[in-house]
Amino acid sequence: MKNKLFEKYFVFSPYFWLVLFFFIPLAIIFKISISVSEWGMPPYQDIFLFDNGFKINTTFENYIYIFSDYYYIGSFVNSLILALISTFFCLLIGFPLAFYIATSNIRLRNILLVLIVIPFWSSFLLRVYAWKIILQNNGILNVILLNVGITSEPLQLLYNQYAVIMGIVYTYLPLMILPLYGYLNKFDLNLIEASKDLGLNRIKTFFKVILPLSVPGIVAGSLLVFIPVVGEFIIPEMLGGSDRLYYGKILWEEFFVNRNWPGASALAFSGIIILVLPIVIFQILYSRWSQKNEI
Amino acid sequence: MDNNFLVIENISKSFGDNKVLENINLNISKSEFFGLLGSSGSGKTTLLRILGGFEKPDSGRVILDGTDITNLEPFDRPLNYMFQSYALFPHLNVFNNLAFGIKENFTQKEIETNVINIAELLSIEHLLNRKIKQLSGGEQQRVALGRCLIKKPKLLLLDEPLAALDKKLRSKTQLELTTLQKKLKITFVFVTHDQEEAMSISDRMAIMKNGLILECSSPEEIYENPKSLYTANFIGIANIIEIYKKDENFYSDDLGVNFKLNKELKNTKTNILLRPEKIKIQSINNLKTSSFNSFSGEILEKSYLGSFTRYEIKINNMIISVLDQNFNSNSNYNFPKGEKVICSWESESIKILED
Repeated sequence: MKNKLFEKYFVFSPYFWLVLFFFIPLAIIFKISISVSEWGMPPYQDIFLFDNGFKINTTFENYIYIFSDYYYIGSFVNSLILALISTFFCLLIGFPLAFYIATSNIRLRNILLVLIVIPFWSSFLLRVYAWKIILQNNGILNVILLNVGITSEPLQLLYNQYAVIMGIVYTYLPLMILPLYGYLNKFDLNLIEASKDLGLNRIKTFFKVILPLSVPGIVAGSLLVFIPVVGEFIIPEMLGGSDRLYYGKILWEEFFVNRNWPGASALAFSGIIILVLPIVIFQILYSRWSQKNEI
Repeated sequence: MDNNFLVIENISKSFGDNKVLENINLNISKSEFFGLLGSSGSGKTTLLRILGGFEKPDSGRVILDGTDITNLEPFDRPLNYMFQSYALFPHLNVFNNLAFGIKENFTQKEIETNVINIAELLSIEHLLNRKIKQLSGGEQQRVALGRCLIKKPKLLLLDEPLAALDKKLRSKTQLELTTLQKKLKITFVFVTHDQEEAMSISDRMAIMKNGLILECSSPEEIYENPKSLYTANFIGIANIIEIYKKDENFYSDDLGVNFKLNKELKNTKTNILLRPEKIKIQSINNLKTSSFNSFSGEILEKSYLGSFTRYEIKINNMIISVLDQNFNSNSNYNFPKGEKVICSWESESIKILED
């Protein structure tokens, strides 16, 4: 009987975790987002007032404020575009790599997998900072370009959206490769041979056999890259310039610089809804589709 | 008959230091059902994969119907390969698996006609809308076969075509496969490790061992007159006896028996093969032991196989296998364990093994 009880709690522990560290914080953010701002600490009023009897003190002003100013929506759109482009490049680079690793012999495969994972052992911040050193005006890359004679003066490689995309693709590539590898690892190579045997050349075989059968791996890897990149703060902050503002940075500024907690919370909460809702719908549709297609 | 439809010329192949195929030469005729038989590691699958274009030989040529196809990619070869795992596309239904190889060259209407024709030929027309996962092993095998045959290949390569089927289904499918092959007149080359399967479906077969072809002939010839000790043991049950010349006859020390051969021998010492069904087994009361080509021994083991009974007969230090047809319905006809019997054979049944 005692064991049963333990089992019950054990099974529910992930939900407990989810409630404690996801739903409760989310509820707090939502609560702040509908509070009225004021100067003070904390910089918002309580939503339940008891001074002259019970009164609910909420407002949707913060949401209206955010959605009426293109500054905020624009940053969110920028982040979505950034995430789309980065995911695309991660996929473009990651897919061939993952396929190569999955189809190479076991010894080489293990070495390559370790090489993919090794960057995780060093600090994320240091890795991004290293790119700053490589790309800066008197950095390694510019020195090489100058000495080879490709350019006559240093190129402005840093502090623009391209540096941001590069940094993100570099950092998030393993998150694309590992789930893809996990899926492609189970790929029956005979299927590729069968396709060629039936008269399809390499390119057609890729589009008719390899790609459709890799959809689950592609979806998993892409979501793993796309979702965190939308809210990415550090990389745009370190490598990006003022040419483009991103959601993560605006959120940070709203919260810490402007000390507009309700506004920042409204921004955060809207971001989650805008991002999560379509993904949840996509996941439901996708799982139905993949069940139907037996992939 | 055109004996040069498929010519395999001096094919060699190594993987690293491992020599998988050494100087393979084979000529296969048009419409022949040809078997490559060997145990694992004999190089038979590598040879088939070279024919399919999935491996490149280190040296040698493959000529199909007068065209050198050695350096052609698999998708440029006028042949098809049926995989042991069938390699059916799990994301496509049966119809689209069958149509996979002809989609580019035909209109939708032609594709449908072709698919329905091939499905009817293989009696799978009721499965066309099924997913691959919903098919049984036998049905999958038919789809894999149909997917190849729909392309009307000059040559069909089959890697262990029946290995994944259960025993009962296997013998049924064997028969269907040979009937189909004779009907379509497509040249089939298949690989198997199963001796019985190779015997029952091949027109001719090659025995492979360590990357070499030991023998290539009809199943009857290989069974009745094997050239090597390995082949004799590999195909069917074999009693191998060492004999040497003694006076005008031959003598086996192991059996203590005189052998009378109906042909001359080059060597003074040789191995001979005596197939178990060539040995006649009789009750000791019936007659006396003759001075040659017979012995008397004791039944050590006996297994009743329905149409046959297999006896293991002990004589001196040797055990000789004998297959006796259960001719009489009287069960007493079987010899009990421990009984002394006389075994005898004709001179023609003794096959001399060259090495």
